[in-house]
Amino acid sequence: MTFLAPILITAFYGGAIYFATKGAEDNTQKTIYLSSNNALVQKIDRKFNNFEFINEPNIPPGGTVVLDKMNDDIEKEKVNGWLIIADQDLSNLDSTELIVKEAFSVNQKNTINEFLKSQITKQLLQTKGISQSILDSAQVKGGISMVEENESGKMENSSSELKSGVGFIMAFIIYFFIFMYGSMVMRSAMEEKTNRIVEVIISSVKPFQLMFGKILGVALVGLTQFFAWILLSLLFVLGIGKYLSSGIQMPQNMPQGGMNNQQAIQSLVDQNDLIGHLQSLPYAQIIVVFLLFFLGGYLLYSSLFAAIGAAVNQETDVQQFMLPVSLPLIFGLIIAQSVVFQAPNGHLAKVFSMIPLTSPVVMAVRVPFGISWTEIFTSAAILYATFFIMVWISAKIYRIGILMYGKKPTWKDFAKWIRQS
Amino acid sequence: MSFIQVENVYKYFEDKCVSNNVSLEIPEGEIFGLLGPNGAGKTTLIRMLATITTPDKGKISLNNEPLSSNHSSIIGYMPEERGLYKKMTVVDQLLFFAELKGYTRTQAKQEVKFWMNKLDIVSWADKKMEELSKGMAQKIQFISTILHKPKFLILDEPFSGFDPVNADMVKDLIISLKNEGTTILFSTHRMDNIEELCDQLAIIHNGEKILDGKINAIRQQFFNHEYILEFTNNDMNNIETSDNQFDIIQTQINSFGRKEITFKLKENQSPQELYKQYSQSNAIIGFKEKMPTIHQIFVNQVTSKN
Repeated sequence: MTFLAPILITAFYGGAIYFATKGAEDNTQKTIYLSSNNALVQKIDRKFNNFEFINEPNIPPGGTVVLDKMNDDIEKEKVNGWLIIADQDLSNLDSTELIVKEAFSVNQKNTINEFLKSQITKQLLQTKGISQSILDSAQVKGGISMVEENESGKMENSSSELKSGVGFIMAFIIYFFIFMYGSMVMRSAMEEKTNRIVEVIISSVKPFQLMFGKILGVALVGLTQFFAWILLSLLFVLGIGKYLSSGIQMPQNMPQGGMNNQQAIQSLVDQNDLIGHLQSLPYAQIIVVFLLFFLGGYLLYSSLFAAIGAAVNQETDVQQFMLPVSLPLIFGLIIAQSVVFQAPNGHLAKVFSMIPLTSPVVMAVRVPFGISWTEIFTSAAILYATFFIMVWISAKIYRIGILMYGKKPTWKDFAKWIRQS
Repeated sequence: MSFIQVENVYKYFEDKCVSNNVSLEIPEGEIFGLLGPNGAGKTTLIRMLATITTPDKGKISLNNEPLSSNHSSIIGYMPEERGLYKKMTVVDQLLFFAELKGYTRTQAKQEVKFWMNKLDIVSWADKKMEELSKGMAQKIQFISTILHKPKFLILDEPFSGFDPVNADMVKDLIISLKNEGTTILFSTHRMDNIEELCDQLAIIHNGEKILDGKINAIRQQFFNHEYILEFTNNDMNNIETSDNQFDIIQTQINSFGRKEITFKLKENQSPQELYKQYSQSNAIIGFKEKMPTIHQIFVNQVTSKN
């Protein structure tokens, strides 16, 4: 399970993301009646993507009254909708309506909208004497690329998308594993308490040693899993890299169907770019931040979880304590998603990467964009200092909680136990 | 010299005093019974002796040294409520506890092997705890408590959950440990065990020690000068009706259909005189002093303090 769990989790999320993006697409053919008195409209393309337009000369009076025929055709599923372009001045499509029985998705509506606009623009330009060839020659291709100075002063290509992606994946992994391993610690403390083994154990070791040992033990399990995972990923990346570099020397081996040679080479160049971007990431920082903040975040949260596990008597009591403790981390992930994507080095991002309860997640998402080592170590120092304070407080709750049976503890009891010992 | 010495120990829980000026002395190599109604403070005292908690006031010493967690390797503790790691195998569980008490892996393996052979449970070695019956699990727990050869053994209700056969086995083990010099404190509600096994006892009530001493001395102390005469023939009504100088406090027919009469002697009367008076009738089959049981003493003591 040590080796399998990360793979299963990756497969699980990969699958979920794949189905969320691909599986939801509606690929069925849609036939739509097109009615318009405007001569220009007659010239637009009749087919695109999964849509097909069929001319329907019977324009309903006023443009909005649905004819029996159409209703009937839609009913019989001969067509899916009726697009009525009533406007004479095509520079504004406000009076254009798409009549449907079953609503199209937002994507489908937007696709039709964009298609219509681009086709009409094209026709309008042509009426003004601008031909297709002039239009094609005026098309601007490509996009700006970001070049960043790296630590050694060299200029390197940089991709914000890739950085956001890598950062967010790391933040999510940290978030996910803090919860996973944290609750492992909690469950273990709870098991020992409800089984009463704990009395035997703490007659041999101090409660603090037991708690700390438990936290460290689970941390080592976590790190073992991570190293196994990193190793597997490296092998995977190396394998892909080898495949791609062998591909670039032999573009003729690329599949031809639907893609001409030029496109094939372009896509290889793009992939090569991706590898270039991948290589430009600040790996040393990423690895240091990941290990430091995963471990620090886990230690901090698991000491809280251990105290909860020791205090409660049964699983059902856990919920009320878990929620307030987990909120900061969830909050950190939300911050990571919004603020950090927009301004990874902004004030808000900097503040939350110094607050120990959110820093593990926020730091992880920021690191691919490059942060100073000073900032990393300051944040880590705050995180670890908080952990030491928290483990000291948790140990007090743990020490008393673990021998308390019967009534469900409250926050008040926690405060009392901390004061007492 | 006492092996364990508890001197004027106080333990407070919030504002409640759960151990109130308790002093005890447990001689080396003896079995000491700790009695008390539920909630009397036995577990609190036991937890202090097992080094789980420390007294707020007073001191506890073991072999003339202040009791500390350094002694944990010579203390064995079996709590009343029991449990082991459900997913662990029997042998891993035992190795874990032995190592927890400071044994090396090799030593631990030897001990585990020895005990598994001794109790004839070798075939359980690779079973998970959750596969075992309650009695089997209790046996494993008992082994895990004594595996490291503790000099001081604390057993809280050691017989609960055992069937009579296993209870006897545990009893024999306790006696053999005592014979090897182990000092044992054991807490129970079962008075028959106390009378059978213990050399000394203490009764705790509301956090205070209300009685302690050697079992026989205590029974002697509460002896009420009562004697029982047993007669073969239960038709001897004349005994009760005849004018006699001895006070009869109870008459009953025992399970063998024989009449038992309990007499209470006055200060100037001797049991010999009592015997003499009735020995003329050939019906006498038994004569014994009626010693109070620990059960009676316990109930009397606790109810009188309520």
